[in-house]
Amino acid sequence: MNHRHLLPNEIDLLVDGEAGFGVAPLRAHVAECDECRARLDDAMIVVDALEALPHFAPDSRLAERVMAQVPVFVPAHVAARDSVSRWLPTARPARAAAAVIGTSVAGLLTLAMVWLASRGDAVVFATGLFADRLQSLVLGTARDVVVSVFGESAMATLQASGTLGVAVLVLGFLGTALGTVLALRRLATASSRRA
Amino acid sequence: MPHALDLANLPDADVVALALEGREAAHRELIRRYERPVFSLVFRMVRDRELAEDLTQDSFIKVLSHLDRYRSEFKFSSWLFKIANNVAIDHLRRRQLDTVSMDGSPHATTPDAVMASAIELSDSSESALEEMEAKELGTAIEQAIARLRPEYRSCILLRHVEGRSYEEIATTLDLPLGTVKTYIHRARHELRRALEHTRE
Repeated sequence: MNHRHLLPNEIDLLVDGEAGFGVAPLRAHVAECDECRARLDDAMIVVDALEALPHFAPDSRLAERVMAQVPVFVPAHVAARDSVSRWLPTARPARAAAAVIGTSVAGLLTLAMVWLASRGDAVVFATGLFADRLQSLVLGTARDVVVSVFGESAMATLQASGTLGVAVLVLGFLGTALGTVLALRRLATASSRRA
Repeated sequence: MPHALDLANLPDADVVALALEGREAAHRELIRRYERPVFSLVFRMVRDRELAEDLTQDSFIKVLSHLDRYRSEFKFSSWLFKIANNVAIDHLRRRQLDTVSMDGSPHATTPDAVMASAIELSDSSESALEEMEAKELGTAIEQAIARLRPEYRSCILLRHVEGRSYEEIATTLDLPLGTVKTYIHRARHELRRALEHTRE
């Protein structure tokens, strides 16, 4: 028998249930030494008492209280994926059919793009024509709106002020719209927090 | 998206990934898994039920609001315990609430508040005598834990109540492994001395 009693850290190794090569002699010593066995038993009483301690349960409304204060954001890519998956059929054959149709449509569109690209002059001409018509339509509508709301004099002032005046007017309109949206959003957030 | 029933079978890392995708059910699943261990740790640190409820709530709000900062090479539970422990330790430092009573919160001002904050222990021992002895030992060890230094208390609770390894505790508490071993050794020693009278 080894007459050296176990050191505190050696008792800890046994308490922790270590099973390494160096632990076997410690176990052998404890088996033969009453004093070390008593120290180990004392240590094990503490550990057993600790491990028998129960978990306490918090209030059952903890999850609700936490979730009321945790902002849950759905990232854009997840929202897009969810939207796509909502439109896709769930059955496997229907999904296969949707894939075939989607591939066919994409192929036809690609062919159409290649055909248009090979006729570059015609595309540029058609695009220019469309842009001109769109521009005159937008400007005409805007003029009609200004004249009907503010009168001819306002239109004359606007025309006199040139591009800068139009730019200031458009920026003013956008700023007011943005400010209104932000104010409404803040109001909605505040009222939902209060609720 | 997996149903609630499936969520219960997923590992933490997968539930965290779903929570990061904005799934509220995944957030709730993480709370369901860890509300008891976290509350127990915090309660045994601060010894005040109402306060422990608030600190547990704060811990979960911090964790779930900053899930994007979670590093997946660590266990989610270690990160959660780290935050809960820091919240409890910060509170103890602010209030200097190192030693407290099993009989109720030292901050309770009315008899009802004292009763509400007192720790109740339950045990499933078979005989009345065993139950009484176990309760006595359980009460004694709860009192002894309450008298430990907070850093010893965190280590010993994580080791023996939560069953964490020394390495996990070192990671959770941001302490060197040797320090964790020392704290646990000293905590066991102090608890052994505190429990000596119950065995006499």
